[in-house]
Amino acid sequence: MENNTVSYAQDAAAVQALDLTEPIRQKKRINRAKLQENIWGWIFVSFLLIGTTVFTYIAFILSVWISFTDYDAFIMTTFWEGLGSIHPDGAFHWYQYMFSPEGPLGIAGESEDFWNTLGSTVFYLIGIPIGMVLSLGISVLLSRDIRGTGTFRVIYYIPTVASTVSITVMWTNLFGDGGLMDSLFGLSLLANDSTYWQNRACVIILTVWKGLGGTVVLFVAGLNGVNASYHEAAEIDGANAWSIFWRITMPQLYPTIFYVLVTSVIGGMQIFVEPNLIFGNYPATGNQATSGTRYNIPFVGFIFGVFNNGEWAHASALGIILAIIIFVLTLIQFGLDSRRDKV
Amino acid sequence: MTNHTETASPENKGGKFGNFMRKIGRAFKNFFVNFPANCRKAIGRFCSWFGFGTFGYTSNKKRKKVFFDVIGYVLLVAGGITMLYPFWWMLAASLAGPVMAADGVTVTDSALNVMITTIFWPDETSQFGLLYNYENAVTLLNSAWQTVTIGGHAYAFWRSIINTLVYSLVPVTVGVFTSAMAAFAFAKLNFKGKNFVFFYCLAAIMIPFPSIMIAQFCVYSAMGWTENGLAMIVPGCFGAILTAFFIRQYLYGLPTSILEAARIDGAGYWRQFTSFIVPLAKPAIMAQFILSFMGSWNNYLAPQVFITSDMWKPLTLAIGQLDTSYSTDVTNAPAVMAASVLALLPILILFAVFQKTIIGSIMLTGSKE
Repeated sequence: MENNTVSYAQDAAAVQALDLTEPIRQKKRINRAKLQENIWGWIFVSFLLIGTTVFTYIAFILSVWISFTDYDAFIMTTFWEGLGSIHPDGAFHWYQYMFSPEGPLGIAGESEDFWNTLGSTVFYLIGIPIGMVLSLGISVLLSRDIRGTGTFRVIYYIPTVASTVSITVMWTNLFGDGGLMDSLFGLSLLANDSTYWQNRACVIILTVWKGLGGTVVLFVAGLNGVNASYHEAAEIDGANAWSIFWRITMPQLYPTIFYVLVTSVIGGMQIFVEPNLIFGNYPATGNQATSGTRYNIPFVGFIFGVFNNGEWAHASALGIILAIIIFVLTLIQFGLDSRRDKV
Repeated sequence: MTNHTETASPENKGGKFGNFMRKIGRAFKNFFVNFPANCRKAIGRFCSWFGFGTFGYTSNKKRKKVFFDVIGYVLLVAGGITMLYPFWWMLAASLAGPVMAADGVTVTDSALNVMITTIFWPDETSQFGLLYNYENAVTLLNSAWQTVTIGGHAYAFWRSIINTLVYSLVPVTVGVFTSAMAAFAFAKLNFKGKNFVFFYCLAAIMIPFPSIMIAQFCVYSAMGWTENGLAMIVPGCFGAILTAFFIRQYLYGLPTSILEAARIDGAGYWRQFTSFIVPLAKPAIMAQFILSFMGSWNNYLAPQVFITSDMWKPLTLAIGQLDTSYSTDVTNAPAVMAASVLALLPILILFAVFQKTIIGSIMLTGSKE
């Protein structure tokens, strides 16, 4: 008993001592503050986190799932029925279908359409290097200490903010049959008798013209960020403007160029509105079915056309292929980037 | 005058003028005798006038700069005209009308032809008034979809404008606010798993919209969202990682001491966000709001896929519809152009008002969307 009371007293004293000691108390308070910060941090990001998870990641998983099914708007009535129907010809039916050539009866596959649309999308990517070289030149001009650079920057940015639908309507008239470009310069790129290479060139001109401003603004920002002291040092050492540009400006501008390249390849693979409004929907009907315009439908236009036909599983499979292509292209670019850093 | 040179062939003849001409002749002859050296001299003198020191001639920095400035201005102005002229052409062409014969009935040149051959001003504006094409555009857009009626009147144009405003204002306002919340947490709070959440959200931009739109459509149509426009409203309300990323970059530049002071004075995290972060990050939030608004206004693919009911289609779809039905119509083609000008104007005005904020924000982060 004695022992017990003593131990109780000791315990009490110890507890008192604990209560009185400053460090442990402080630790407790910090913990509570930390807990609160953790809780509030998660509350603040919760909306973005839920949105990204539900509308991107879960949607992507669903997309992969749907691509294995036989989900068709005109056969399945409910969403669950569609999800439950794995394709009778095997889960990878649509992936085999898009890579196998069209059979004699026209049902075995669609590899012709697949490669045509993918090819035209890749062809439209030619606009990216052209636009980058042009905007690099413009931004070098704009980064000289001359007056009115701000005004020029705004002017070059106007096409970027303009509505693509309106721009495309204007473009079809500008380059169309007997249009201004035809009558002034003889450039009938969208006329009835123009080849589909000319049509494609017209789309590239449109994308370059429209995308120039955003790249110029980014490059000007990058050029302004180039350290001026390097320039001065090189100038004192007697370097001429040309070698200063290639040896000092370009390496420092490289991150911006890389960013622009990656984002514009991702965006360029998803080109849809301009060709869709100029050439019409896939599958090409009426006049377009026989003319060259059916070769100008981009890959997203192909997906959209298949979707419009109600073949949702098929369209999902094509969408997954697009995601894989974009992912691989981005990986290749990052791989090249890392190799460059080592050298 | 040329006769004098021939008559002044003997020495001391022809007076002062003859001497002068002989001098010129000798100089001319000498020039060709040692052509390469003179060529160098000429080029050197020519270049030194522009400030370049070639072939031993002095260079002049000031003149060199002026020379490059002039070339730069010429190129920039040429580029600027290329950028601006199509917009002027669009506006001018949208006013075109048919050319009438003297009797006022027969059309000698169709409105379509007048429109597409416009250079600075159409040959003939519409005979029913300058803005007739715009009235016609509104009429045509109103009847773009026959199902959109109110009390028997087709009002698809006004309806599509309301829809566009709803689709761009509601999700963008809520979405930018939620993105700003996330940005505040990313930039100024320390919580477990912050980096993971950030990169988890950032990785989502790798997934292209066309590859998830079909799954999204299937779910939305199962929930009925494609019939009432919710498919365009709800997803945007959860914010976008690129918006959050941009505001986060801006918040990094703000001093943390303000928040610490607020914390010591007993302000909770919500209070810190609403009364310190939102007012301080106003420029960044405004810029992102305007950019997202423009993106939503110009959006074409998402409503094309998600909206099945004509009642809820936005303006871009109405113009696309008009373009497919009337773009080669000889009388109504200028109305299509007028309609696209109508869709363009609000964005251009918004850009003109906020250009400083927008360009500044893009230059700050390199985020284009």
